[in-house]
Amino acid sequence: MNQGPLVFLGVFAAVIASWLGLVIVPHLQFGQQDMVVLEETGESYPGGRSGLALQGAEVYREQGCYYCHTQQVRPAGEGPDLKRRWGVRRTVARDYLRDQPVLLGQMRLGPDLANLGARETNRTTLLLKLYNARVLIPNSLMPRYPYLFETRKLPPGATPSGDALPLVGPFAPPPGFEVVPGPDALALVAYLESLRAEARFYEVFPTPPPKADTNQVQDALSPTNGPPTNAVPATNATVTP
Amino acid sequence: MAAASDSTVTPAPPRARPAEVDTSCRWPVLGLLGLALAWLLVAGVLAVLASIKLHGPGFLAEWPWLTYGRVQPAAGHAFVFGFASQIGLGIALWLIARLGGTWLTGGVGLLLVGGFWNLGVALGVFGILLGGGTGFESLEFPRYVPPILMTAYVCLAAWGLIAFGRRRPGDLYVSQWYLLAALFAFPWLYASATLLTVYSPLRGVLQVAAQAWFAHNLATLWLGFLGLGSLFYFLPKLTGRPVPSRSLAVFGFWSLAIFGPLGGLQRYVGGPFPAWMSSLSVVASVLNLFGVVAVALNLYPVVRAAPRLPGEAAMPALRFARLAYYAYLLGAGLSSLSALGFLRRTTQFTLFTPGLDHLWLDGFFALAMLGAAYYVVPKLTGRDWPSPGLTRLHFYCQVVGVGLFFVAYAAGGLVHGTTMNDPALPFFYVIKRYLPFAATGTLANLILLVGYGALAAHVAWLITRWCRDVCAPLARELLEPTATAQEVKA
Repeated sequence: MNQGPLVFLGVFAAVIASWLGLVIVPHLQFGQQDMVVLEETGESYPGGRSGLALQGAEVYREQGCYYCHTQQVRPAGEGPDLKRRWGVRRTVARDYLRDQPVLLGQMRLGPDLANLGARETNRTTLLLKLYNARVLIPNSLMPRYPYLFETRKLPPGATPSGDALPLVGPFAPPPGFEVVPGPDALALVAYLESLRAEARFYEVFPTPPPKADTNQVQDALSPTNGPPTNAVPATNATVTP
Repeated sequence: MAAASDSTVTPAPPRARPAEVDTSCRWPVLGLLGLALAWLLVAGVLAVLASIKLHGPGFLAEWPWLTYGRVQPAAGHAFVFGFASQIGLGIALWLIARLGGTWLTGGVGLLLVGGFWNLGVALGVFGILLGGGTGFESLEFPRYVPPILMTAYVCLAAWGLIAFGRRRPGDLYVSQWYLLAALFAFPWLYASATLLTVYSPLRGVLQVAAQAWFAHNLATLWLGFLGLGSLFYFLPKLTGRPVPSRSLAVFGFWSLAIFGPLGGLQRYVGGPFPAWMSSLSVVASVLNLFGVVAVALNLYPVVRAAPRLPGEAAMPALRFARLAYYAYLLGAGLSSLSALGFLRRTTQFTLFTPGLDHLWLDGFFALAMLGAAYYVVPKLTGRDWPSPGLTRLHFYCQVVGVGLFFVAYAAGGLVHGTTMNDPALPFFYVIKRYLPFAATGTLANLILLVGYGALAAHVAWLITRWCRDVCAPLARELLEPTATAQEVKA
């Protein structure tokens, strides 16, 4: 018996089945997802990034930042992400609609960056971390990116420009020189500042606590129910997209 | 296959005599193996650089093309596409010809196509180092590379299929199923994943789903099946003990082929996907264990059997293959277990995952394939390995390197995960705790590199000897022409 065709067709079917299951069916399920209008502000979410931030996303990809940093916040129960304040809610598919490529990452040698723009608002801190993270955190393992910066000579008698990094001690450039961020560093920082996944919309709203009178009715109907405050976990409850 | 009885199976004697098979395979297979070895060295050096940079961020920090985020994927891609895929193809072509009892046609054409594949890999690795990575792990090669690789692959696999089509009639042997499945699966996986991530990307996180699906199948359906195909041939061959049950082999094969491909998203549990997607992958990972257990049970008596010939106790191929079997069990078992909550909650996003990948690629796959190469190369060149010492050195370096890396990263991953899961501990403390384990990885990679070096030196030695024996008489004939008939008369 010639079993070649059997193996061929069987494996073909298995690969197609997995492809349908993990790629195509999800595509049919939420591949047509679109921006959502936030009720509070009337803005659509996710909003577009600035041109500079889009360039920064390219730098982020080129430097392979996603080999050490994730950009995804898992729900409570799946990890410490919320307790570590890496986000106020889990991330959902809609948060990434405008990203190309989507750089989720699957390694946390460094902290998660999904909401970096929300928690780190000091641009100089971000620039210093990129230049040499050990300026701020001794023994940090983050790679240095000196090539994103320019060490330039100051004209005699001039003071460092406003852009110059405030480097002191062992990290300071030689006297008469200053370190200023190059275009790629500024773009990357603009991108990092744009990282926010904290908007609330129906997929990610915490399940609202039940109304008091409803609970009273329920309590009356079923005396085994716990107190209303414990009936539904009010925070971080998740709805899958 | 479905109607197969529970009779024992062994590789049947070939139609073309083994020597003829080997002659037809000589240049293409040796070429692929040689180029694979070159990529193994490149990947080894890049992996050492990457692991040093992981714990010494000041090391070579001035050069953008050597930053960790580029060296790390470059090392991985050089290993998977340069070494693993190429040695896998080489061994698969030889096995297909040998098991089918037929000649491998293609000769020089195959070598040229092999060269084309290497051009693609070289462009891709340089592209990554220059910052052209696509942003998708395992699919990082810049967009001009996949067409080159696909063209080369289709030609290479076509020669394999031509040889397969001319096999002797009769039931297929277990190895042939695995090899055929792998040869068919790769182009579908690679083409569809590249298309949906790089050329015509899906919307949002669906790209990541396609990438995760591909990365998982690259390791299991492509490299995993090539490795199993090789183990199912060499273990019975070298011990002389047949695979006990054909039915069990059928069951194992189809379990792995059906449940294996559904994995991938278990690494993104809690990620921005509908929960059913990662749940499907977790369930598939657990069901996959049926196939793993079937393979394990079927090969266990073969692995435990004594070598067929007393001299073969020292045969490197058998040693490598036996260890590959145990690495397979450990790797596949832990891969399924780590998808489950109790382990995943600690190990997700930690060093544990690269440790497991390393065990799979450098342990199971590389051991199976290098063992096969230790068997095949002497057949193709007609020369034995010149130095058992160098073989031993390579073997122990490989075992110690993989073992050390896996233990360090698995333990480091548990420490990494435990500290990270405690929100009271600041992140720099997490780094401080996993640092020593990451540093041990560098030591392991250096040991592995010494092993690869020993292998390369050994191959160079073998080729030198072979050249001396084959080329020297030829050269002598050319330089000192024998007297022609006229001269003899005169």
